[in-house]
Amino acid sequence: MRYLIPEVVVAGGALLALLAIVLVPKAKSLGSWIVLLALLAAGIDAATMWHVTASLFMSNTLAIDQYSILVTELVLLAGVSSLLLAWNADRFGEEFPVLLALSVIGMMTLGAAANLLAIFIGIELLSLPLYILAASSRTQAGGEAALKYLLLGAFSSGILLFGMALLYGATSTLSFVAYPAITAANTWLLWSGLALVIVGIAFKLAIVPFHMWVPDVYEGSPTPVTNFMAFGTKVGAAVILLRLLAFGFYTQDGSWGTLIGYLAVLTMIVGNLLALPQMSLKRLLGYSGIGHAGFLLVGIATHSVDGAEAMMFYLLPYGLAVMAVFGVLRLIEGNGDEVTLSDLKGMAYRQPWLAAVLIVGMLSFAGIPLTGGFVGKFFLLQAALFASQPGLAVGIVVGTLVGLFAYLRPLQMMFQRTEPSEKVQKVRWTVASVVVLTVAVVGTIGLGVYPEPFVHIVSHSADFYWLTGG
Amino acid sequence: MLWMVLLGIPLVGAFFVLSVKDSAAKTTAAVVAALEVLAFVAFLVGPKPTLDLNWISTWGIRFHLSADGLALFLLGLTAVMTLVAILASKREYGRTYFFWILFMEFASMGLFGAVDLFLFYVFWEVVLIPVFFLLTGWSGVKGRVAALKWLIMNLFGSLFMLIGVVAVAVIYQENTGHFSFEISHLTHLAIAPAAQPWIFGCFALAFAIKAPLWPFHGWMPDAYGESPAPVTALVAGVLSKFGVFGFLRVMLPIFAPEMARYETGLLIWAAAGLVYGAFMAVRQKDMKMVTAYASLSHLSMIALGIFSLTAAGILGATFLMVAHGLMVGGLFLILGVVEEKVGHRQFSGLMGLNQGAPRLATYFMFFALAVLGLPGLPGFAGEYMIIQGLVVHEVVFAVIAGVIMVLAAWYMLRLFQGIMQGRPDAPAVADLSRGQVAWLIPVALLVVLIGVWPAGITSHAVPSLFHAVHFVAEQGGIN
Repeated sequence: MRYLIPEVVVAGGALLALLAIVLVPKAKSLGSWIVLLALLAAGIDAATMWHVTASLFMSNTLAIDQYSILVTELVLLAGVSSLLLAWNADRFGEEFPVLLALSVIGMMTLGAAANLLAIFIGIELLSLPLYILAASSRTQAGGEAALKYLLLGAFSSGILLFGMALLYGATSTLSFVAYPAITAANTWLLWSGLALVIVGIAFKLAIVPFHMWVPDVYEGSPTPVTNFMAFGTKVGAAVILLRLLAFGFYTQDGSWGTLIGYLAVLTMIVGNLLALPQMSLKRLLGYSGIGHAGFLLVGIATHSVDGAEAMMFYLLPYGLAVMAVFGVLRLIEGNGDEVTLSDLKGMAYRQPWLAAVLIVGMLSFAGIPLTGGFVGKFFLLQAALFASQPGLAVGIVVGTLVGLFAYLRPLQMMFQRTEPSEKVQKVRWTVASVVVLTVAVVGTIGLGVYPEPFVHIVSHSADFYWLTGG
Repeated sequence: MLWMVLLGIPLVGAFFVLSVKDSAAKTTAAVVAALEVLAFVAFLVGPKPTLDLNWISTWGIRFHLSADGLALFLLGLTAVMTLVAILASKREYGRTYFFWILFMEFASMGLFGAVDLFLFYVFWEVVLIPVFFLLTGWSGVKGRVAALKWLIMNLFGSLFMLIGVVAVAVIYQENTGHFSFEISHLTHLAIAPAAQPWIFGCFALAFAIKAPLWPFHGWMPDAYGESPAPVTALVAGVLSKFGVFGFLRVMLPIFAPEMARYETGLLIWAAAGLVYGAFMAVRQKDMKMVTAYASLSHLSMIALGIFSLTAAGILGATFLMVAHGLMVGGLFLILGVVEEKVGHRQFSGLMGLNQGAPRLATYFMFFALAVLGLPGLPGFAGEYMIIQGLVVHEVVFAVIAGVIMVLAAWYMLRLFQGIMQGRPDAPAVADLSRGQVAWLIPVALLVVLIGVWPAGITSHAVPSLFHAVHFVAEQGGIN
């Protein structure tokens, strides 16, 4: 049980925070502090078990290995950043940190899941708090977003569950670690079950054509929550898809690789194309997030260790860029919720520091060298070419080019001179947001300038690939 | 260590400039750029160490920079032109402007020095960013469109080149079992015949767009037209060399057999650009555009020298890259001064400026003559060597190049006469100020120096080119 301490710490923190809210109603930020400390403690603890030998627990329900530890660290980063972005903002409600922590546990579960039930529990634990969080700004748009998210989320959970039932019917086991031996049978029941499970996860990951909910939900949710969805949910859904396919359905011919490859190219191009005409910054980021999900899929589609490493690598620069951009968004939106591109006008002259952060984040999204995003794309290209799939490589290039337009427009806006008469909201810097922005910028540039350590880390985390089949 | 200084000065300097007041930014930037010139001089007179550090060892990527004969004078060109461009910039542009200029210098220095393909690519893309922001923030009305065109077109090429870079490394890994991005390791690759033209094309496209070579110059008229004169001088003088430099640095070693195989096609391509640029220059009514298309034509001339795959042609191209940078950079700066004084760029309505501004006219004529290739000035020496290489190998293209040199005289003299000579019908303009002469004299002196003493550059370039040319010869590329 030593290896479950991070999850237990976060869960304990959530419960303690819940108690604190009830017992000490006066201390407003006490709950946030408790959860923050719990998340940090869990992160430190998870880091200390880095050298663990990969092993399965609880009758093959959870796998603790470098992969799950890395995922834990990533989702904790997402959780901490969202918590800090919402720091001292009463309007999100006192229960905000508690729900956030619960959702984080769901994501951590997904990182370690080796069993269909664990997947389902993880996904539900991730989603249910998010449905509430989406509405936590208590605005009409927020409610709408939450309802939309809830309905589509429930729908996708249904599909997922149905697929799991079929898989169980075909294999009579829930633990997908045991599947490689069975997949040779190649029954239609098995493959249709897998297809449905992929669709169910694709909803969460926002893969085209299952992406419809993303822009509305991103737009309506409060910015810290959107940050959490864009970073954390994507990590959770991507890693479980990778582990399920690589662990459970390792086939020499990579029959699902082709399907995922087409989805990847479609998602990269369509997601970025749809980002082009957006005027609302959050919608733009929503569509760009869809595009990035496509890049993540490339790593899975290559069906190789390189691909798994590349995807794991890509998650961090993507998440850091998300933190940078949403952090800036949070600061300039003030108490409003909606930031359009024209609100950025003249920002480079008004708030040069914020503009610089936004530039770094956007350039990382676009994959320009000296940012982490570039190394991520490079890694993916390498994986695609090693797998002899030039089509995926061209897809990456086309997707990146289309995305470029979307990322450049906000940057150009910032350099547009404004009339002095236009009223501008004053930015209120907070320590918490400065921490988030600093981590995001330093991390993004650090990954771009010296990626070696993290490349090393992901190469260990993808070791699991050889546990089976290979 | 010297490399650290050479890269560190502009990079640290750029961030330092950000921290000073707007009014002091120009002076600070000029000091930084002057220090960089000094650092380069130390390189020139002293030993030329290389910098070779482990960067991403998992993929065999090294932070490897070297100032060989090919790169040495291009580094100098970058240092000098950046200093001159900063001196020619307006103080009001503010610190962010000078930040981007110095950042561009950093990236250019890195690009010219890089001998690791990954490092080369990193600088290749990074250098796009400062120009994008300079065009966005400090240019004419259509600057935003120009900036978008610049970045999108260039990244279009670059991203395909990235596929090429990765493909080359993957092939190397599959051939040898370990990773390396070192350009000198990547020669003699066994590339599958089906993949050869594609990988070759990926690189050629990126280099052709950046240079630009016809017909990939779509971004050029807007970018040159809209940017402030110092930025135009840097883009045309320094950045446009990247494309042709890429052919020399990357393609010649890696794709020597392919270059020999496609030689005729490449020569026709370059010759088409040469003719196109010259004719476009003849019919422009905007003085900046004349120079822009002249520059396009000259870049094709350089490409022609490289594609001749002869020692003389490649040497001429190397020399002309440096010379062209100084000449065309100087000419754009002069045109910037003229534009500032008369308020527009059209020939019509401009005549006889030499009456009121003799010094301006003199410098104008000097740079115009240099660009058109007057013997004694470096344009002539470079073009002579290129034509010599072509005569040996492909005499038809030598004839075309010769004819175009005549055309060059036509468009340059037309430019000069249209603006400077004749009866003035506009009010006289003030002559060059002392401050402006201060930065024009060094450029002019350098042009004269390498014009009368080309060996100063070519003797350095020969040893490092020898290897490349020798290799091509092995492949049957040189008769």
